Amino acid sequence: MNGENGKRDADEKALKARLENLSGALDARRRQDEAQKAQEKASIPGGETGKAMSLGFRVLSEFVAGVIAGGVIGWLLDKWFDTSPLFLLVVGALGTAAGFMNVYRIAAKPTSPGSGGPEIGKQ
Amino acid sequence: MATPGNAIDPIHQFEVNKIVPIKIFGVDASFTNSSLFMVIILGIVALVMVYGTRKRSVVPDRLQSAAEMAYEFVANTVRSTAGDHGMKFFPLVFSLFMFVIVANVLGLVPYTFTVTSQIAVTFALAALVIGTVIVYGIYKHGLHWFKLFVPSGVSPILLPFLVLIEVISFVSRPISLSIRLFANMLAGHITLKVFAGFVVMLVGAGAWAPLSILPVAAIVGLTAFELLVAVLQAYVFAILTCVYLNDAIHPGH
Repeated sequence: MNGENGKRDADEKALKARLENLSGALDARRRQDEAQKAQEKASIPGGETGKAMSLGFRVLSEFVAGVIAGGVIGWLLDKWFDTSPLFLLVVGALGTAAGFMNVYRIAAKPTSPGSGGPEIGKQ
Repeated sequence: MATPGNAIDPIHQFEVNKIVPIKIFGVDASFTNSSLFMVIILGIVALVMVYGTRKRSVVPDRLQSAAEMAYEFVANTVRSTAGDHGMKFFPLVFSLFMFVIVANVLGLVPYTFTVTSQIAVTFALAALVIGTVIVYGIYKHGLHWFKLFVPSGVSPILLPFLVLIEVISFVSRPISLSIRLFANMLAGHITLKVFAGFVVMLVGAGAWAPLSILPVAAIVGLTAFELLVAVLQAYVFAILTCVYLNDAIHPGH
């Protein structure tokens, strides 16, 4: 009876120690992440305005580039196969979709595997 | 803008002039003012990096700390974006970053030529990046690399369309990479020149001359803004290079 109680006590103690250990590691990890984030923030010149502007310009250029790429590919295919304007319309539409996809990708997920993309995806 | 001499022409600064005409097998390979400034840029980068790191003192002087900060900044960017495997490409990313940032900042000095305001230059840089991505991706992963274009967990009816869209999206990468840098630099420099033109026009307009202080103030603000854009665009170019290289190193997600 007494031995069982002692065993339980020891178990609980070990569990508590493990828990503390884990939460300590978690805290350390969080602090490290925060420090890294702060460093990233500090290392970008111009701060918030510049970051927002570069994100805006990035979205714009990604979208436009998708449309241009689709249009040019379609136009070239038309020129080769003499099917104007079939491919221009079809691939141009696909290119617009690709532009939207580019923008969606910027908005939807952080670009980096680790800390969540230094310049985007913080909103 | 057609009148010669005193005309205000905001596009004139982007003209490429031949300094030493060279022709190799009918290809025009002349040494232009653009090439001259590229050489100057390389000289500045080499000076900062080689001369700055020569002493290797524990307490760095100004040039050494500039070189060290540039190294640490790019190394952190590469590590956080492309992972530790990405450090293989650190020399490429660092060279691109230094070239672009020095070209952008040097272009803000009056009477200089802004190399990065030429789409031929920025597209060549972007093509280099995408070429590296494709060659390294296929070299490292073989045909598996093409899984990059096949999104997972999509119904088979939609799959062909999505693959096509992914391919176009990949093709659009060098375009967006080059257009963003080129357009930012071009637009900024034209804006500065147009505002400077307002100053000249107002000064020459008799009673309106006192108003010319307004565009001057605007130019002061715009120059600071352009400095921000110049640095930021170099940073964005470097970070997107890392993002694209990440696709070559770890495809398929």
